[in-house]
Amino acid sequence: MRYFIDTPEISQWVEAEWIQGRFWIHLNGKTFVVEDERSKSGRGKRSDTDQASDLTAPMPGKVTKILVKLQQKIKKGEAILVMEAMKMEYTLKAGADGEIKKLNCQVGDQVVIGQLLAELQIAPLKEGGSPQ
Amino acid sequence: MSQRIQRLAIANRGEVAVRIIRACEELDIETVLLHSEVDINSRAYRLATKKICIGPAPTAESYLNIVANVNGAKAGGAQAVHPGFGFLSENADFAQACKDAGLIFVGPSAESIRKLGDKVSCKALAKSLGLPLVPGYQGEDQSVERLVKEAEAIGFPVIVKAAAGGGGRGMKVMRKSQECKELIESAQREARSAFGSEKVFLEKYLDRAKHIEFQIFGDATGKVIQLMDRECSVQRRHQKIIEEAISPSLTLEVRRKMSEAACLIGEAAGYRGAGTVEFLFQDDQFYLLEVNTRLQVEHPVTEMVMGVDLVKAQILTAQGDAVFGHLGQAANQRQPHGHAIECRIYAENPFLGGVPSTGKLGTVVWPEGPGRRFEYGFESGDEITSYYDPMIAKVIVWDETRPRAIKKMKKVLSESVVFGVHTNIPYLQEIFSHPEFVSGKMTTRFIDQYFSAPIEAVAPTPIEEKVIQEVKRKVGQTSSGPDQANESSPFSSFWRGV
Repeated sequence: MRYFIDTPEISQWVEAEWIQGRFWIHLNGKTFVVEDERSKSGRGKRSDTDQASDLTAPMPGKVTKILVKLQQKIKKGEAILVMEAMKMEYTLKAGADGEIKKLNCQVGDQVVIGQLLAELQIAPLKEGGSPQ
Repeated sequence: MSQRIQRLAIANRGEVAVRIIRACEELDIETVLLHSEVDINSRAYRLATKKICIGPAPTAESYLNIVANVNGAKAGGAQAVHPGFGFLSENADFAQACKDAGLIFVGPSAESIRKLGDKVSCKALAKSLGLPLVPGYQGEDQSVERLVKEAEAIGFPVIVKAAAGGGGRGMKVMRKSQECKELIESAQREARSAFGSEKVFLEKYLDRAKHIEFQIFGDATGKVIQLMDRECSVQRRHQKIIEEAISPSLTLEVRRKMSEAACLIGEAAGYRGAGTVEFLFQDDQFYLLEVNTRLQVEHPVTEMVMGVDLVKAQILTAQGDAVFGHLGQAANQRQPHGHAIECRIYAENPFLGGVPSTGKLGTVVWPEGPGRRFEYGFESGDEITSYYDPMIAKVIVWDETRPRAIKKMKKVLSESVVFGVHTNIPYLQEIFSHPEFVSGKMTTRFIDQYFSAPIEAVAPTPIEEKVIQEVKRKVGQTSSGPDQANESSPFSSFWRGV
């Protein structure tokens, strides 16, 4: 819907719409998406500490390959599984050194965004080891 | 031998299907849209004369299914099939299957596609014509061990590519021996899933090259002309994001040599219809990269500067008519007029590094104006699913000079509204403001160099925040009820879940 905004600072047409609990508004050449009040405080920011240990789907799609086994030791940056979405392949890599604690998906699974795919037991940093 | 097409089937979806429908309407040709189950919620479905469902959403069962497409075209009473781009457009077997079924394939012959479309045989042909090529491996031995050895012999960085396709699928850059196996296997899987063939080849990766391509067109008489060049150096994961015509980087002399090379290979393959000869250009040297035996996604920029309609020309050529008659004998010497830029609007989240964003489109506004062209396949209420390419629209601008075209594009992007899914518009806006892009000196590494990290979301200013709160009050605090748009779909329960 279009709304005409007429304030001393801004006088223009803006587009705005509620879609599934989010308020979309196009203003001054930018689109803002405002989460509803309940989730606003944590807006879009998942805590990074979890990301290192949990491997979640960054997008909806299909799991096409799992490259690790349970209890396998892995290095930071090592490929854990491969997903396909929109005809592109994405390789999901370990965020830190560690061990595969749990695998929550199988090859061929359709997964949704944010779904937990694998859990990692992070290896403790070695004394004097230099983090990359 | 002219054969009038009365009805044409479209073996594609999205904005290119709409583009083909528009061309057909202007030529008084009816259309049959061959679509998957989910694509009944698309603009092409609403515009086509007839629609035939050829299978479920997964591409292998619908848009890549040769038998389903041929049967659909026949059932729809079409005399011709336009394959668009992507999907089966460069599949020689499909071109042959159409011919065998008595359908005109709008594009080159199956033989031309085999010669040029398969990147390996294309290189062999180019080599025999004495055209410059990037060093690489195009052998039949496709074992991973052999490919790794060849990559080492070429010297890193080396790029692995799908022999059968384009569009960035099945392409990986390898920088050291250790990562070869993983990347080659991944490229083979992508190639199989996207093109039905896991054949790959290797090439030396030029690290500061520009991507420059020539539009060629073979008319019904067998003559191949060139319609100048496009530059598509701004690519991410080898997928083009921004394209322009003509390249700001070529001297007259180099342009002439490249266009001659492009026509030469086209003629050698007996090319008919629209095609593109892609080159890498580095240190004043050009290397033939591949030939795309189809219409390109970025064909509008050529149309804008050359004053032609490539899709209508394709269809006319397919039915044996002369094209570009208005250009006369001088078609090959026609000069470009002004500058055109296209950018692809993808459904993705630029603040999360471009992960696909799926969902139903809310409000969509494309700001019309002089020298602005919008090619889109989805409208408000349509769903962007994860089954297909995330491109939802193309925005094309034309102006007298490149700086003016850039300025216009920035204005258009700032006025374009897409609600419901995130788009790469904020990302594009930053690219169009980047000094290297503005200078015209960008290379294919531009995105890697300057835009590899997700861009920062801009928070509203205090004044904007005030306006947001005010509009929020006006709109009301609740979202509207369930959407009406998709209720008519018999498959809604099926694809709601994705």
